[in-house]
Amino acid sequence: MPIEPSAGSGAAAEARQAGPRSARDEVGSWWRSGRWLGALAVALVWLGWYLVSAFALVPEMLLPGPGEVLAALVDIVRNGYRETTLWENGSATLWRCGAGFVLACITGVPLGLAMGYSAKVRAACNYIVQFMRPLPPLSYLILLILWLGTGDASKIALLYLTAFPIVASSAMAGVGATKLQRVQAARSLGAGEWQIFRHVVFPSALPLIFTGARIALAAAFSTVVAAELMAATDGLGWMVFSASRFLRNDVIIVGILVLGLLGMALGKLLLTIDRRIVHWRGVD
Amino acid sequence: MTAPFESSGQEDAALLSGGTTAGRLWRWLGDFRITLASLGILLLLWCALTQSGLVNELFLPGPALLWDGVLDLIENGYRSRTIWEHAGLSLERVLAGFGTGALAGTLLGLAMGASRPIEAFFSPLVEFFRPLPQLAYLVLLVVWFGIEETAQIILLFLTALPVSAIAARDGVRSVSLQRLQVARSLGASQWQVFRYVVFPSALHEIFTGARLAIGVVYATLIAAEIIAGSTGLGWMILDAGRFLRSDYVFAGIIAIGLAGLLLDRLLLVIERRIVHWAGKD
Repeated sequence: MPIEPSAGSGAAAEARQAGPRSARDEVGSWWRSGRWLGALAVALVWLGWYLVSAFALVPEMLLPGPGEVLAALVDIVRNGYRETTLWENGSATLWRCGAGFVLACITGVPLGLAMGYSAKVRAACNYIVQFMRPLPPLSYLILLILWLGTGDASKIALLYLTAFPIVASSAMAGVGATKLQRVQAARSLGAGEWQIFRHVVFPSALPLIFTGARIALAAAFSTVVAAELMAATDGLGWMVFSASRFLRNDVIIVGILVLGLLGMALGKLLLTIDRRIVHWRGVD
Repeated sequence: MTAPFESSGQEDAALLSGGTTAGRLWRWLGDFRITLASLGILLLLWCALTQSGLVNELFLPGPALLWDGVLDLIENGYRSRTIWEHAGLSLERVLAGFGTGALAGTLLGLAMGASRPIEAFFSPLVEFFRPLPQLAYLVLLVVWFGIEETAQIILLFLTALPVSAIAARDGVRSVSLQRLQVARSLGASQWQVFRYVVFPSALHEIFTGARLAIGVVYATLIAAEIIAGSTGLGWMILDAGRFLRSDYVFAGIIAIGLAGLLLDRLLLVIERRIVHWAGKD
């Protein structure tokens, strides 16, 4: 996952935007930046899809055309899919994902910081975290379902366990990334342990904590859909799975598009918060 | 991106607290004692919960039951296939999907890093596929190709591709400008610059991306086997879970964990072999 360098300081960016710009400048820079090529790629994919369905190269049942998918989208937004609206399914997915992720952050960040700070805490907990981290989450979903049933509890527990080791290890690595010189400088200037933590170690750890949070949220989002495919009665994953049973491929494609856009939006959201809070990222 | 998380921070911690070699050794041993104690407490808790009957062994197998289950799986296999066959099938799928996906993704990423127009063209597609939950399109692939190998390998190909592409692109971008200028001023051609400067510099990030990709691919495969499969380690634990054989489920989770670790170590060894210059800047 790339860590994009921050686009200059906030003040400079504002100054650049504040200057008068004509619409012609906008179009010109958009053209020169080559971003239209991306729009072209999307248009080509759409065109290819349209042609394949228009000439019936593939049976309609396997690949519905863009028009039908759009019609299915409108239908789902208006009437819902099997008595659940798109919003209900979307919010069920987001709720599970968000609940597991937030719980993991609330507990994982303090534990990770403690593990980074104290070799003793690290010795007591790190092996568990490092054992959990590479384990595919779906493998223990079966156990969680046996223990907690098929309701929301097992799914939130699953997402918690998916995100927790990622968040905790990144917070630990963040403390490790603190520059020794800065700690020594603060100490020699008479800072107390708490002040060193609050003003030196924590700000140094924050960029890695946020990177970890972004990876964890992406992992939780993939996992929630997988869990909903396996055992759920609502959610976007359930919608896609149920549609596949009835060979409603138009609904499946709507689901894929919605999930892709939602995943992009979640990533962008965290990236924006990251840039806002950790404005010192990469300014060393 | 995995690299920073690998460092245990132990050296830094030792530096932060200072001390002589003997003191550090003592501390290291002391920490290891804490690890052992923590592990011991977990094991004791496990024994106490299962042996006292507080937890039904159907849900959490005791040590004896788990050991029998592991031996049984190794000796008799599961449902007419040995555990090695299940593991072999899973690993085969991972390697097929990862190998093709990582190769295509790396080539695409190198091109994207080298040329702005190529990047602008492909990036919306890559950016869309990367955060898309892989299992969502598994359903479509299963409808198209059936539940056999083809659908799963295409799924893993599509999973590995964007991860590798982004890593390779960032690798090309992170080439130091000085080296490029030095090579150019010494008269290197475009191809020579790419072959001897850009590619070796990017290789470290390409491998980091490959390790990230194989982790995601492996997790996706296990999920795919659970949701739509009839063989492999993932399917095995799903099937065992249906019959409430939690000893097999536990044994299966351990096997999945070990196989995942093996894959990661394998890539790490290859990386150390090939990119021996990493981190010596």
